[in-house]
Amino acid sequence: MSSRVRILANLRRRLEEGRPAAERAEGVAARLRLAGAQTAPRPAASRLEGAEALARFEEKLRAVDASVSHVPGFSSLPQALAEELRARNLPAAVRMGEDFDLVSLDWSGLEATRGPGRIEEPATLSRAVCGAAETGTVALRSGPANPVTLTFLGETHFIVLRRSEIVPGLEELWARVRRSGAQPRTVNLVTGPSRSADIGGVLQLGAHGPVAVHVFIVDA
Amino acid sequence: MTHAPTTPNFRQNVREAMADAPLMEQMTTALTGSMARRAGAAGAVPEFDALRDAGRDLKNHVLEHLDVYLETYEQAVTDAGGHVHWAETAEEARAIILDICRKAGAKTVNKGKSMISEEIGLNDYLEENGVKPVETDLGEYIIQLRKETPSHIIAPAMHVNVPQWREAFRKFHPHLPQDRDLEGLDKLLLEARGELRRKYFEAEVGITGANMLIAETGQSVIVTNEGNGDLSQSLAKVHIVLASLEKIVPTLEDASTVLRLLARSATGQEMSVYTTFSSGPRRAEDPDGPEEYHVVLLDNGRSEMLGSDFQDMLRCIRCGACMNHCPVYRAVGGHAYGWVYPGPMGAVLTPALIGVTQGGNLPNASTFCGRCEEVCPMRIPLPKMMRHWREREFERKLSPKGMRRGMGAWAWAARRPGLYRIGASLAARALRLLGAGSIRRLPLAGRAWTQTRDFPAPQKGGTFLAQWNPDAEGRRKGGAA
Repeated sequence: MSSRVRILANLRRRLEEGRPAAERAEGVAARLRLAGAQTAPRPAASRLEGAEALARFEEKLRAVDASVSHVPGFSSLPQALAEELRARNLPAAVRMGEDFDLVSLDWSGLEATRGPGRIEEPATLSRAVCGAAETGTVALRSGPANPVTLTFLGETHFIVLRRSEIVPGLEELWARVRRSGAQPRTVNLVTGPSRSADIGGVLQLGAHGPVAVHVFIVDA
Repeated sequence: MTHAPTTPNFRQNVREAMADAPLMEQMTTALTGSMARRAGAAGAVPEFDALRDAGRDLKNHVLEHLDVYLETYEQAVTDAGGHVHWAETAEEARAIILDICRKAGAKTVNKGKSMISEEIGLNDYLEENGVKPVETDLGEYIIQLRKETPSHIIAPAMHVNVPQWREAFRKFHPHLPQDRDLEGLDKLLLEARGELRRKYFEAEVGITGANMLIAETGQSVIVTNEGNGDLSQSLAKVHIVLASLEKIVPTLEDASTVLRLLARSATGQEMSVYTTFSSGPRRAEDPDGPEEYHVVLLDNGRSEMLGSDFQDMLRCIRCGACMNHCPVYRAVGGHAYGWVYPGPMGAVLTPALIGVTQGGNLPNASTFCGRCEEVCPMRIPLPKMMRHWREREFERKLSPKGMRRGMGAWAWAARRPGLYRIGASLAARALRLLGAGSIRRLPLAGRAWTQTRDFPAPQKGGTFLAQWNPDAEGRRKGGAA
């Protein structure tokens, strides 16, 4: 008898006393039908909309040591990114994926390369699915458009999303992720740059992942 | 590193820990602010207690339907191209993992932080079998170098002070110049970052734990601040998730409830930096990510807890709030507990996993102040369950003889109220002879108490009962006279 069979048999024997099998199956099916619907209480702070949501998103990003700026449209992104790199004394180079919004831009002022992360990546750029105002969290989907390693190997990680993609809370974030296509290998929720307080109990940024995170909000 | 439990020597461990001045100083430094951070984060969310109720209810629901959820989850993992392996015991889990590593031709395995890996003693086993495990979480990295075990479930190197970090890096990074500057904390962090960055690209297999397993989507979730777990799983050819079977949550919305509780309870953050939902291997068109995805589902005694006095413990989401708030943990540190899980959650879980004969000492390490239950995001009745263990330990005659005799004598007297009252009033009078206000030195067994603090002397005016109902006491005395 396999371990699987033994473990499940043991669980069934114990659970049967409380609830018969048919009832358990129905209980699970009913709960899973609620996927995508609100079942638990949520903080009032996760319900802000419009300008309030935008203000909270930015406030929360800054609270977790990320920086944020606006660009009027995607076409202004290469220039804005070049300026950010200069201001941070970084080389005029960035690594990104094949995201449609990004590859169609004119990157001639920068050394823009495409593909997964390499061992040294001073700057990487990702296109987020959306951002949740509740905690300043952005959601990224892995795939050719956004290689997952760019999120963790970039020393400075740039993330771009549209203003209309800023949602109130985690519930709306999941709704967008579910709508964004087939389930990717990873969905990465990122809330600020990497950190650790393991050494001497003092919080330091840039543990293994990015030392800095900058979010561009595309207004149009 | 995992070692045989030293929980039976808990008393000796405690004596040694408390005599270790640098450790005591480090514990104070490391835990300063931990309670205030949690209180601040929880206090900032008016709905926090409602979220705790929801968290408790959702985990109870999962536990009551666990067999169906595990099958649902397994199906979803399989649909996404992953493999689920079931392990009843630690030995079985280790063998499954070694087998996957061998098939992948792995010489090196990178590891994200996983308490289950400590529980099953994975590192020693892999090493004995020619596979080199590399811990990549900073805290786990330093304790692997120092050949130690974690002393806290979310801050495994809480007991290591800064000079010890420097010493370990000089000793274990011999390829770097011996006279390099390691003064600033940032130098230490940069050195670790550099060492590990190279290793991420070398390992064939990446092992992570899981904070949750989502039945709806077949995803495993890790919640981290460093990014090491993500580099470990994304750069290796094979990703192995090592998780215990109670980690299931039904849907992404349920995961949100747990996430809203977890970081606030653990570190006082609103959200940890990286919350990663992984399923299956890299998709056909993906430029990165692992080519294989395996989940090892570990039981190791947990299913025996279902339907027992200890079922509620399976709600635990491993935030560490109970130990951060425990006066005993704060005084003795995590290593004194002698096995993987310290603090109040460890005092309940350890006897369930390694047996009351080995772990029965731990539930006694409590003042029953109740702070652990007060802050537990899953509302686990930790003190009640520690009492259950104490009862079992007493029933099985595992507690020390002196204690059992004392308890027996007390129980005998307590069943004879008249005699008990006379005894209490005699004892109060005797104590009053030793001092007024407070007693500096007690004789006999009381010496241990007064070695470190004064004993309050009984007040004048008789025992509590005599003062509360002087007439009755007078009548009883009169009647007896």
